[in-house]
Amino acid sequence: MTDIYGLLNKSNVDPDEFEEIDATEFEKAKVKNALKQSIGKKKKRTGWKTNVAAASVMLCLSAAALGSAFPTYASGIPVIGDIFKYLDIGNTGMYDNYKEHSSALNLSKESSGVKVTINDVIYDRHTVSMTFTLESDQDLGENPTAQGTPKLEGSEATAALSTISKVGENRYVGLYQATSITGGIGDTVNITWNLGSINPTDEQKEIQGDWEFAFAANATDTHTLVSGQSAEQDGVMVGIEKITITPMSFIVYYTQAVSELLRNQGQGVYIDLQIKDDLGNVYTGQDNGGVGRDSSNISRCKSFGKLDPNASKLIVTPRVLNSFNIGEVAEDEPKDVPLLPKFTKSVDFVLDDIVIELDK
Amino acid sequence: MKSNDSNFIQRLKRQKEDALEFIVDTYLPLIKGVAHKVLAPLNNIGVIDECINDVFLSVWNNAEKFNGDSNDFKKWICAIAKFKAIDYLRKASKEMEFASEHMELNAEKSAEDELIMLENRAELIEMINGLEPVERDIFIMKFFLGFKTEDISAKLGLTRASIENRIYRGKKKLSKSLTNINMLGENGT
Repeated sequence: MTDIYGLLNKSNVDPDEFEEIDATEFEKAKVKNALKQSIGKKKKRTGWKTNVAAASVMLCLSAAALGSAFPTYASGIPVIGDIFKYLDIGNTGMYDNYKEHSSALNLSKESSGVKVTINDVIYDRHTVSMTFTLESDQDLGENPTAQGTPKLEGSEATAALSTISKVGENRYVGLYQATSITGGIGDTVNITWNLGSINPTDEQKEIQGDWEFAFAANATDTHTLVSGQSAEQDGVMVGIEKITITPMSFIVYYTQAVSELLRNQGQGVYIDLQIKDDLGNVYTGQDNGGVGRDSSNISRCKSFGKLDPNASKLIVTPRVLNSFNIGEVAEDEPKDVPLLPKFTKSVDFVLDDIVIELDK
Repeated sequence: MKSNDSNFIQRLKRQKEDALEFIVDTYLPLIKGVAHKVLAPLNNIGVIDECINDVFLSVWNNAEKFNGDSNDFKKWICAIAKFKAIDYLRKASKEMEFASEHMELNAEKSAEDELIMLENRAELIEMINGLEPVERDIFIMKFFLGFKTEDISAKLGLTRASIENRIYRGKKKLSKSLTNINMLGENGT
């Protein structure tokens, strides 16, 4: 006799009658986690024999673990296959190709009841991106933060971005991106990272611990295109220096310059780049920060997702965002300071498109 | 070793967790589509999520009952999704009266239907196994998959009258057997 699941083998349900609804990596991970918990509970009930067997295996394993020096290489632990995509909460697609080009590290270190595992690392000659997992013996809230910043050997200044997200009970995944804004690192980068302390979201005390890692990452293949094109309007100039193309991303290096007149008027101008290609793909980017001699002349760079290999042109739209505020000019200031009518509170504008030919 | 399109069924039957992950990655959009379509009238995202998890868990727990290749698997998991979603809808509709587009719940509810909606379906399944193949298909479509009579008619190329007739006869058979079981049960206690 066959039950309903057997009977449903030859059913007349046609999958094409249903419209599929896209599921994000986040949703998939949520379902997987729920399933693993259900399966786990079921397995626990399978009887004492399995438990005894498991316990003896655990004993052997822990004996082996004690014998080896830390950090240990853990494998197969992460529940989430692709942390890069998982943490792309807005589902921008920017990190879709990171995992396949990254190297699996799986370096673990446990301290103060929190086990930190660095899962993958990828280096594009500019930014080192690392995914990691935290497994804690206590709840750390929804979005805990880690204190220490990774140090890139050879880099004079590092800009860092990090995000940590809860994926299950006392389990978190994160992405740390460290960018050498001064450049100066080569094919291989040596990274040291001591997390130092972890700050739970809720009103718990920060957890001090020793989670120190040292590892190296080799650069992915890169191909650099020197551009030198620029656009200027109303005292704001943007120049595209070069574009570095990697298998999973491209990075645009650009400078922004602001006329002295504008500089005297107020504070920061920030130029963001919006990029599409001749095939209509729109790329989502991540600002990596910038460095400059003064506030009027800044070198910046921004990373975007994977470049469509069939694209032959990139269309860059520089968008000027500024925090000029005429209302802030004090009454007793000389009245002859020319005020540019364009710059009113929270106004932004776009410069002419810069079209970059991609050589084939 | 990882699951891919050609080995996931085998790995699923061997209860390898990576096969379950593969199935979630591959079929979540479909299962989500089914659950949302059937359960939309409930307007309860919690129930939809629960149903989706239940579908995958049932696939995991009943993997050995599946026969066929990956095309058949897609149909199978889709049928389970429909069955589960209808089941959730039925349970919810027991708690609150509402009209559903997907089921003719209140329209022709008879004593036999009440029997069919028994929480414990073991006996029902046994009866269905004893039916003629065509009647069996009709019953599964009608009572487990929530098909309307005209949809069954279109799928099987039978007239509406012929289907209603077969349902009637099937119900009689079921009712008879179920009554016997119930009586046995009562005598037993």
